[in-house]
Amino acid sequence: MIGSFKQIKKDEEDGGGNPYHSTDKTSVLQEARVFNETPVNVKRSTHVLTKILYLLNQGETLATKEATDAFFAMTKLFQSNDLVLRRLVYLGIKELCNIAEDTIIVTSSLTKDMTGREDQYRAPSIRALCRITDASMMQAIDRYMKQAIVDRAPGVSSAALVSCRHILKESPEVVKRWVSEVQEALSSDCVMVQFHALGVLHQLRKSDKLAVTKLVSKLTSSSLRSPYAICLLIRIVARLIEEDEIGYDSRLSDFLESMLRHKAEMVTYEAANAIVTLKRSSARDLPPAISVLQLFLSSPKPTLRFAAVRTLSKVAMTHPNAVTACNLDLENLIQDVNRSIATLAITTLLKTGSEGSVDRLMKSISSFLNDISDEFKIVVVEALRSLALKYPRKQAVLMGQLADMLRSEGGLPYKEAIASTIITIIEDNPEAKEKGLDHLCEFIEDCEHTTLAVRIIHLLGREGPRTRQPSRYIRFVYNRVILENAAVRAAAVSVLAKFGAQCEGLLPNILVLLQRCMMDTEDEVRDRATYYHAILATRDSTLIHRYILNPPQFALPSLERALVQYLQSPAVEPFETRMEERVVPTHEKYAEQLSAIPQFAHLGPLFKSSTPVELTEAETEYMVRCIKHTFQNHIVLQFDCTNTLNDQLLESVSVVVDGEGWVVQTSLPCASLPYSQPGSCYILLPIPEDIMSTTGTLSATLKFTVRDCDPATGEPDTDEGYEDDYTLEDVEITVADHVQRAARSNFAAGWEELGATNELEDTFALSAMSTLEEAVTQITQFLGMHPCDRSDRIPEGKSSHTLYLAGTYRGGHEVLVRAKLALADGVTMQLTVRSDDPEVSEVIASAVG
Amino acid sequence: MGVFDKLVFALGLKKREASVLVIGLDNSGKSTMLNHFKSEDQKSTEIVPTVGFNVEKFKARNVGFTAFDMSGQGRYRSLWEHYYHDCQGVIFVVDSSDKLRLVVAKDELDMFLQHPEIRTRRLPILFFANKMDVREAVSSVKVSAALGLERITNKPWHITASNAITGDGLHEGVEWLTNQIKENLNK
Repeated sequence: MIGSFKQIKKDEEDGGGNPYHSTDKTSVLQEARVFNETPVNVKRSTHVLTKILYLLNQGETLATKEATDAFFAMTKLFQSNDLVLRRLVYLGIKELCNIAEDTIIVTSSLTKDMTGREDQYRAPSIRALCRITDASMMQAIDRYMKQAIVDRAPGVSSAALVSCRHILKESPEVVKRWVSEVQEALSSDCVMVQFHALGVLHQLRKSDKLAVTKLVSKLTSSSLRSPYAICLLIRIVARLIEEDEIGYDSRLSDFLESMLRHKAEMVTYEAANAIVTLKRSSARDLPPAISVLQLFLSSPKPTLRFAAVRTLSKVAMTHPNAVTACNLDLENLIQDVNRSIATLAITTLLKTGSEGSVDRLMKSISSFLNDISDEFKIVVVEALRSLALKYPRKQAVLMGQLADMLRSEGGLPYKEAIASTIITIIEDNPEAKEKGLDHLCEFIEDCEHTTLAVRIIHLLGREGPRTRQPSRYIRFVYNRVILENAAVRAAAVSVLAKFGAQCEGLLPNILVLLQRCMMDTEDEVRDRATYYHAILATRDSTLIHRYILNPPQFALPSLERALVQYLQSPAVEPFETRMEERVVPTHEKYAEQLSAIPQFAHLGPLFKSSTPVELTEAETEYMVRCIKHTFQNHIVLQFDCTNTLNDQLLESVSVVVDGEGWVVQTSLPCASLPYSQPGSCYILLPIPEDIMSTTGTLSATLKFTVRDCDPATGEPDTDEGYEDDYTLEDVEITVADHVQRAARSNFAAGWEELGATNELEDTFALSAMSTLEEAVTQITQFLGMHPCDRSDRIPEGKSSHTLYLAGTYRGGHEVLVRAKLALADGVTMQLTVRSDDPEVSEVIASAVG
Repeated sequence: MGVFDKLVFALGLKKREASVLVIGLDNSGKSTMLNHFKSEDQKSTEIVPTVGFNVEKFKARNVGFTAFDMSGQGRYRSLWEHYYHDCQGVIFVVDSSDKLRLVVAKDELDMFLQHPEIRTRRLPILFFANKMDVREAVSSVKVSAALGLERITNKPWHITASNAITGDGLHEGVEWLTNQIKENLNK
């Protein structure tokens, strides 16, 4: 209703070009009585029916009664033989058939038109008939549809085929009876009929891959006449190739390639597009397709140019080298009158171009940036982002450009894209940091998007205090407190506190500012200001570190579990959060499963669950994988077993482990393991007292009783089984099993806080590793700790790097690791470990050696 | 309507238009009966059960008839009433060989006559006791008695034995209807 109102308003502004703009539902339905006149008043009926159709298309809704009345009045118009009126009636039937009742009444009238002599009536009546006919009535029109599908008039045949596709959605079994007719239509001379017939055939067989393959191989060898049908065939073939993992049929790709030489542009484009978007296409397959697209780039038809350049810009993401051949043509397109083509051309060039061309491209971008829509601007920004990562030396130019774009007009998604690109550059390149922060500061001075402002302020809080001159950012942040809405003010207060916590010299000023914030009108802002002021005023560095710089990050489900456990236990000491804090909630599922087993209920909260480790080769008789669950003083080994032999039923399945210093306390076997149904058995091991012997290797054997059974039913043949065992690979218990990853927002602060009391330092030569990346991944994985301050990312071309890791050792001991890596004939590593327990430091330090 | 049409109408040369409703139980021969009135080239060679309705046109004695050929199947009989309002005559076709269902036909006829759109109007009703060629067929008098036609007092009615396949009796019946409608139109 509102939509139509707006439409009316708009039309009025346009100068009243629409004769139907003042149409109103009630009066039109009144006017519909004219349909009942005998003889039919063709002129007026046509007019009123048009009004009804107009209203329905404006989104007006009719009640069932209204629609039914209008529908039955309309059926009387079948008396008239006026061509226009009859065709309007068909449209009316299609519009009303979903609302009105008893629409089946027009079936005979429509079948009469559909089999009649007037071709103008036949196609639309088929379409209308298929809309009103439900599955139960299909039988009645079966014969007529079969005739229509193979009709000589292409329009009729196409209408029947398209209707088939609609019917397919509801009653596919009906259309299956018409397959032979559809097959016949496939060999029609008319291009459209062929296309529609192929569409129906494919949809019919979509779920049966073998049938699709057959269809495709038949059609690829015969030559279809219709370019539309060939395009559809190309899409089907491309999907087949994509789905086929192993049985890759080279004939299919040969077909695609041969279609590149087809005489219709449509087909050659479709084939080229299919080839370049195929995931399995290698750089070797691309050139023929690319050269076809290159040809289209200089076509006089804008649609072809657009299609080609759009496809090329997609390919440029994955295979930039293949597109470089087109660079010259793309350069010409920058001047294209069509802005969309020009934008795509320029972004493609940015992806493929060399470092030298960046400056020139940037200039031409800025010349037309104001003329294009936000959507395309975002495309440009994305291109700039990848360019910045590729050529760090050009970041200064790009940053300037981005800052210009940030200041210009644009919606939130556009601004967000720019801001995150700048943030990416800042994170990637420390040299660009201050410049980037300046741009962002300037931007938030006049930013109407709350989310974006909060994000940037948060970034300032993280990066600002570590710059050379933190004081200059305070003004920008405090301005937010004065000028912005509550959400931004609250974020700004938090950021002020971060500055205060890290910059000794600024602390007195920050305290004053926070004091002012305590007068704020908004609760949240006042609360934050009071909280931070109280903590900062103590000037106690431990407190500041714990509650401002590295605030506890709780995984809420774990915290809830811990609190429930605490309430149930008889303990009188205060609730201790250390165990639970900073825990990543990956093992929630396991914790629930294990606590449901009575034997494990007394173990306390689950500390960590390892990722599953396969103890068998793939495709063996039995598949076993092991998950290690670490508790305060125990380790539970969970063995997930799967029986892949369909003629065996395994019973009392257990795993026997043996290792020095480890004693099995409890073993829970899995009672029965039928074919292909996974089952689990468990082993409970107390962790040795001596912290140095908490790692080790356990040999493992699967023991079970086999009963042979009928592969078909799974029923055992015999009552008695026989014992058997199966050797598994060893289970390793490593340091990582005792360490939980912990996120730290500020590593340096944590490092200082722990102090050098329990520090251990050692130097290692990691001769097996040839790159820094490899070393970083290995160390992180081996220690099971979390890399902080994005130190897991190594800037390109560096020969030394420092990795910061944070974790919590079993029992709640904080552990921080600093690994200085240098690349020289393998990797040399200086490892420094700090923790709050000397033994823990020793375990970690010795683990690497 | 053009000037020429008006002139023709004034001179009485123009044929009059009337719409009639064709009802009756399924398989009584409504579509077959109408098929008989079509011109040679428009005749359909086989008649299938009507779903919903069909509009047919034919001419008799200078009156153009638009016939709404309604489907007689049980589930569609309730839809007849949508077309009661603007008809000027009714043709009720009865299968006179189907003695068992004569009572059903009577029920439908009674419902039709009781309908508010019909009850008060002086609509001419033509009954065809169809399929008179079939051996088990009963005479038109018996059909008339079975349907209780003598009760209809406020409407002119007429019953004719007919054979829709050969066309026997159809013209006689329609002639009566034409006269009735002409009378009504002239009033």
